[in-house]
Amino acid sequence: MKQSRFLAVFAALVYAFLHVPLLILCAFSFNSSRFTVWEGFSLAWYRAMFGDAQLGEAAWNSLVIALASTVLATAIGTLCAYGLWKRGSKWLSGSLYLSLVTPEIVTGISLLAFFQWVFRYLQIQLGMHTVILAHVAFSIAYVLLVVMARLRTAEPALEDAALDLGANEWQAFRLVTLPMLQPGIIAAALLAFTVSFDDYVITSLVAGVDSETLPMVLYAMARRGANPVVSAISAVIFLGFGALILLSERMQKR
Amino acid sequence: MTRRREILIGLAGLSGCARPTARRLNVFNWSAYVAPETVPNFEKHHAVKVRYSVYESNEEMLARVFSGNSGWDIVFPTHYIVPPMREQNLLAELDHAQLPNLKNIEPAFQHPVSDPQLQHSVPYMWNATGILYNKKVTPVPSKWADLWEPHWKGHLTMLDDPAEVFAAALRKLGYSLNSRDPNELRAAQREAVNQKPLLRAYLNTEVRDQAVAGDILGAQIWSTTAQQAIDASSDLAFVYPRDGFPLSLDCAVLLRESPRKEIAHDFLNYLLEPNVSARIAETMRTATANGAARPLLSAATQNNRTLYPPPEVMAQAEWFATVTPEAQRLRDRLWTEIKSA
Amino acid sequence: MNRLRAIFLAPSAAFTVVLFLIPLSIIVGYSFHTRGVYGGVTAPWTTENYQRLFDPLYGIILWRSLVMSTAATVLCLLIAFPLALFIARAGERAKSIYLYLVILPFWTSFLVRTYAWMFLLRDTGLINSVLLSLKIINEPLPLLYNETAVVVGLVYGYLPFAVLPLFSNLERLDKNLMEAAADLGATPWNSIRHVVLPLCAPGMRAAAVLVFIPCLGAYLTPDLLGGGKSIMIGNLIQNQFTTARDWPFGSAISLALMALVMILLTTLLKQDGEEAL
Repeated sequence: MKQSRFLAVFAALVYAFLHVPLLILCAFSFNSSRFTVWEGFSLAWYRAMFGDAQLGEAAWNSLVIALASTVLATAIGTLCAYGLWKRGSKWLSGSLYLSLVTPEIVTGISLLAFFQWVFRYLQIQLGMHTVILAHVAFSIAYVLLVVMARLRTAEPALEDAALDLGANEWQAFRLVTLPMLQPGIIAAALLAFTVSFDDYVITSLVAGVDSETLPMVLYAMARRGANPVVSAISAVIFLGFGALILLSERMQKR
Repeated sequence: MTRRREILIGLAGLSGCARPTARRLNVFNWSAYVAPETVPNFEKHHAVKVRYSVYESNEEMLARVFSGNSGWDIVFPTHYIVPPMREQNLLAELDHAQLPNLKNIEPAFQHPVSDPQLQHSVPYMWNATGILYNKKVTPVPSKWADLWEPHWKGHLTMLDDPAEVFAAALRKLGYSLNSRDPNELRAAQREAVNQKPLLRAYLNTEVRDQAVAGDILGAQIWSTTAQQAIDASSDLAFVYPRDGFPLSLDCAVLLRESPRKEIAHDFLNYLLEPNVSARIAETMRTATANGAARPLLSAATQNNRTLYPPPEVMAQAEWFATVTPEAQRLRDRLWTEIKSA
Repeated sequence: MNRLRAIFLAPSAAFTVVLFLIPLSIIVGYSFHTRGVYGGVTAPWTTENYQRLFDPLYGIILWRSLVMSTAATVLCLLIAFPLALFIARAGERAKSIYLYLVILPFWTSFLVRTYAWMFLLRDTGLINSVLLSLKIINEPLPLLYNETAVVVGLVYGYLPFAVLPLFSNLERLDKNLMEAAADLGATPWNSIRHVVLPLCAPGMRAAAVLVFIPCLGAYLTPDLLGGGKSIMIGNLIQNQFTTARDWPFGSAISLALMALVMILLTTLLKQDGEEAL
């Protein structure tokens, strides 16, 4: 369909609104001064960033946590969506909806109180596992939301036809419905990865000694004041993920 | 219900794979509170791996250790956070036999209000709240009341902390900064609301860079943070308000959950060694509570009036104390009123 | 079918019960307790925390939060709708790139996005520096630390949450419908108003919910961009759990807020949780 000129201009402006603040931040990560005055090109902040072992570890933790919780939440959420599509369950969908409207700080505090209570009986510690569990718990509702939207457009008659042709229920799901769901599942995984990689409030409450994430380190740095290392990190994330997207698009084209 | 048990067992299984690594010690401290070589030297001498991480506020630290199984061994609450932590059963009792260097602590800090016998806490660094200002401002501020002058409009910040804002307003009115009297607190609240139109924002450490950059001309701020700002810009100066100011003491505590109390005591004792304390205070520009370290500081640092104010200034100081639940609730409600005014 | 369905639902049910419903019930329990001397949660049981909520002061804060969240939500929808329409009409390959470009800023972490705005809005920030050097202004404009900055930050932070559901809704619309409308002489604006808008009501609802709820609970944005001068309900809750150490009262405010949001959603959007998901 032909794009109207108004829409194209509007979209360009919105993309500018979304990206220009971060691009400026990226540009100033090459500034030799700590402040907003441009004093010359420098890679000092990048050296500082790559020399910081704690940062590297936090970035690694963030990736591991985001990937693990994305895989788990996407699988669990997709199965859940399918199960609810077959026949609804008021208490389950209601609870998941409630988890979506719970303010982050409340989710975090309630998990903290819960772990404190569990720790009285079980000798375990806060760590990567508690963060991943918390992330899975709050991502399921997002996955469900997206996958369910896709399922609504599905045709139940197709599965019935497969069953009539001798497939069992598992095969009908696996061979008929699941492939149809693929775009929705990818979108859901993307959303789950995003909310996990971005989360600060809940993570900071359930993280242990060895499971500090990138947002936690960034928060501490940003609170200490102007810090071009923060800009350098965002530049790396911004440009790195950007390159990754372009690359994956290229690969898909081939 | 069986489902729940399975998850709990699964959780237990996950933790079962805790690695039997070399000796570890996990220390969670305020940022800029050790010298670069402090921790590596300890690691070398004691053949231990220290996980050293930093925070920016007591709240951040409390949230991290609250579960009672966070993995941290040593944290550094401000003195008025020690009683709440003790009540929550988070603190381990210290073994003074393993802390011979406790004697190095300056007499003034040997018996803090929060823990007079030092049963749970070791005084580490202290701090006072005062006014950081740009020298181009006239008249030069000398007391809290000066922060109510209209010439600050838009260029003044107060700390984003109810205890601090109440302290300034209460001292301005001549009351104790730990006041529990509803009438005094209400009067202080009215003062704070009157001052609010002059304020740019309520900011903590973030204000330092904005003062250096010249965005902010006056700020209620802690003395050590002010010193860092003054080191970065010669336009800035700091004053202890002569109507009285609060003192706070950051203390090292050992968490009850710590399975490494032995080496943790070694670390606390190490921090109290005069030359270690002196190095930290000298490089990080903080005010050490270690009296034995004071003579080892450079003359410039010893005579620094921001970090180590003379006795006649200290006479105006008052310790923050824990207030009664009723007063605390009133303070909190009044703070909400100030914030939404 | 029932067995397969039960197996499929088991993991999500387990997660929901153990990591959401049980923790939430602890909060419910807290809300009926009393604050201890040093901020612990102790006996006796009481409903006092809920009585405290009926205080005009908290009404004002709630009202301000609702106004700001609504402003942010409306702005998000106004910006997101044309953008989603643009993306939905793009070619297949361009479409996914456009979508990724919406999400990309999100991966740089919420703090960095807020930080980027502080960097722009400060007195010595970029906008003021440029305006000053061009002699357009003589004094820096006070851009940071006000309610406008907070709303801008909220819109910036949650815009992708509005674009995604609108896009998936618009993409499913029959393109022939709009072409038919055009053939019948409708202007583009009229075809959008009378054909597209009514059909993407579900996407609008989802977008509004996904933006409005996190805005209402936000506390970092008002803190960092608002300079702590005007608090939203999220700050009030956070303050109870941190500085004030009044967990029972904090729990009561949280639960009241959640109940209010649920009531708002079910009455305004006329759908229960099941349909929404």
